[in-house]
Amino acid sequence: MEKNFILAGFGGQGILLAGTVLANAFMLDDKKVTWYPCYGAEMRGGTVNCEVVVSDTEVSSVHKKDCDYALVLNQQSFDRFVNNVKSGGTVIANSTLVAETKPREDIHYVFAPMGELANDLGTSKVTNIISLGVLASVADIISKNALKLAVEKVLGSKKKELLPLNLKALEVGSELVANV
Amino acid sequence: MSNNNEKVLIKGNYAIAQAAVNAGCQCYFGYPITPQTEIGEYLSGKMQELGRGYVCAESELAAINMVIGAVSTGVKAMTSSSSCAVALMQEALSYACGDELPVVLVNVMRAGPGLGYIYPAQGDYNQSVYGGGNGDYKIIVIAPSTVQECIDYTYKAFYLAHKYRNPVILLADGLLGQMMEPACFGEYPYPEIDNSSWALTGAKGREARAIYSLGPIESKQIERIERIFKKFELITKNETDWEEFQTEDAEIILTAFGSMTRNIKAAMKVLREKGIKAGCFRPITLNPFPHKRIEELASEGKDFVVVEMNMGQMFKDVKYSVNGKSNVELVNRPVGEWLRVEEIVSAVEKIMEKNYAASI
Repeated sequence: MEKNFILAGFGGQGILLAGTVLANAFMLDDKKVTWYPCYGAEMRGGTVNCEVVVSDTEVSSVHKKDCDYALVLNQQSFDRFVNNVKSGGTVIANSTLVAETKPREDIHYVFAPMGELANDLGTSKVTNIISLGVLASVADIISKNALKLAVEKVLGSKKKELLPLNLKALEVGSELVANV
Repeated sequence: MSNNNEKVLIKGNYAIAQAAVNAGCQCYFGYPITPQTEIGEYLSGKMQELGRGYVCAESELAAINMVIGAVSTGVKAMTSSSSCAVALMQEALSYACGDELPVVLVNVMRAGPGLGYIYPAQGDYNQSVYGGGNGDYKIIVIAPSTVQECIDYTYKAFYLAHKYRNPVILLADGLLGQMMEPACFGEYPYPEIDNSSWALTGAKGREARAIYSLGPIESKQIERIERIFKKFELITKNETDWEEFQTEDAEIILTAFGSMTRNIKAAMKVLREKGIKAGCFRPITLNPFPHKRIEELASEGKDFVVVEMNMGQMFKDVKYSVNGKSNVELVNRPVGEWLRVEEIVSAVEKIMEKNYAASI
């Protein structure tokens, strides 16, 4: 079984890092995984996205036409990727920056105020990690424990002091969906 | 990220760079170009840390000639670049083959022709396999399809270059260079080759040596070229490498190289589910090319569909191998977004219909 995720937002929102954490979580969970960034003339403030494909056997292609889950942190990304979600798939949006509209009827929507929650934790910089927490509660294929380990792995020893904040962000994100 | 069996999530470019370090590459010379810049970036720190050589050269032309200089002394050395800049290195590759030097070149392909752009493509098949240098020469070309293979075949590139004293190109693409996948480095798995019989190490206590491709005496130059081609016959016999899946009962065989292999494997599964007997054939060494095996499969009446991100470069080699024994079709896009699995599936279905209509 293969599932693919698109993560998208503003440059600077930590999208590629969120994708890296997600891919690490799948690896730690002994799954086959491929992370692929959009790369081109990208810039801070522009949009950025990456694709994470996970599989039990082997990952075939990246650049798939449709995704199972789209995690979007800003309005432009929502507008762009809402049409790329498979019928029956889910778009998970940061309602702090995305208007709660439902342009299609054949997909699921999860709106969560990820940006506001990050501000409550003291910095908007953890919006991406909160978003992963939300994603993990929506997508069964993600193990919350592996995600925790992945955050630890990606932060590494150099940024160890940021670990408690990020683990808290993950927790806040995963608790959120019960209320949505 | 070193010599061990821990699985790490790593980008193709960094994987190639660390694999070169593990293989014992003593010198790296390069000039930045997307989508392979991370190779030089990584090695700029790593080589210094290890007390090895790193030069950010003034141009690609300089970089590959520095590699020629370094490997003349018998050490392992490499450069890496991308399409339009590898074009600048063609003269040096002809020299390196003529000089019989173990040059390792990594090409992370981007779009051409000319300056093109940084999105991925597979347009350097001809450039690598047939070359843009002068005279009769042969380069070993290996094409990885996953990040793990970027590691495995970087090891292999160094080994084959030294074993046969012949340049090797590792032909990756922007997709592989930029993607991250879990991979293991393990240990460099090949024996070290003794270069002491030819390397230029200073003539103290022995007769002087020279390495050159100049051939003013015709008969000697003929001898040299024949030696190189004889050597390549041996390489063809020993090192030709490919993988194939479900070809035994296949009626139609999808063929691709490099990262497009992933898409044809997935397309094969979809086609099988639809009741079409599809198989996969993927040359791993593009030079030497697995002509013989393709010919065998064609002799059994199996048709071929070549799927590639160029205007049909490997297609010609497959056609040459099949030699009229079965049908060969091309499914391609020149550059950019890789052909999607569903596009390949529908193209193959159309081809099957056409072939069927022609057969009745």
